[in-house]
Amino acid sequence: MKVEVGQEIPELVKHPSTRQLVQYAGAQGDFYEIHYDQTYAQSLGLPGVILHGLLKAAFLGQLVTDWLGDRGTLKTFEVSYRGVDVPGHPYRCRGRVKRVDETEVELEVWGENDEGQRTTVGMATVEID
Amino acid sequence: MIDRLRARIGVDGEPVTAAVEAGHVARFAAAIGDPNPCWTKEAPPTFLVALAPVAPHLAEAEEYGKGWLNGGNRFEYFAPVFIGDRITATGHVADVYEKSGSSGNLLFIIFETRYVNQDAVVVARLRGTMIRR
Repeated sequence: MKVEVGQEIPELVKHPSTRQLVQYAGAQGDFYEIHYDQTYAQSLGLPGVILHGLLKAAFLGQLVTDWLGDRGTLKTFEVSYRGVDVPGHPYRCRGRVKRVDETEVELEVWGENDEGQRTTVGMATVEID
Repeated sequence: MIDRLRARIGVDGEPVTAAVEAGHVARFAAAIGDPNPCWTKEAPPTFLVALAPVAPHLAEAEEYGKGWLNGGNRFEYFAPVFIGDRITATGHVADVYEKSGSSGNLLFIIFETRYVNQDAVVVARLRGTMIRR
């Protein structure tokens, strides 16, 4: 597969539910109440329970590893959380090739809510074999 | 309180050692909704956060503001993490600073964790930004 600067990688659309937040809380061991207790989340001024930042990071990680397959290795992966996301809305993960330097490829990745706002932005670098 | 937190900068917390168990990785992959068959042998990229607490529990930081927000995470990978590995995570506070935002003051705490496997190979590093507001 040819990798070129500007190329968009296949998108990944996730459908997070409250159930998934509880499942993720258990799997990660993060029991902060803002991810499953509506009343608690609202008491902090949040719209309701919100997605774990690291769940959104995991979605973007999947975006990258699905695209990469067995063609190479993930070297760095970073995400910044710019906004909160609530379950019950699709979460669209996208990415684009930003730089190609021989075997090293840098990807710009982001997660969009259903209004098109980039609530998670990040970068990944991969080493192509 | 900020001074007390700053005094911890660079001081390693107690290391945590955990086995990368097939069942745990499978539950993690199911929870993130990632059916990639690779995750029956290897850990997915963000799995390390499930092995040991990402941030040391900082009771004093909870005196600041009302709640925690995750600002961001940066992973660096040096070697794969396989099912059956035993990983030791050692973390420390890397920085603590206050910023004034549009909705009041925020306290930023930067954590760094390094992950070492049973063969003393550093497999990954994680840098995380936690925010109190």
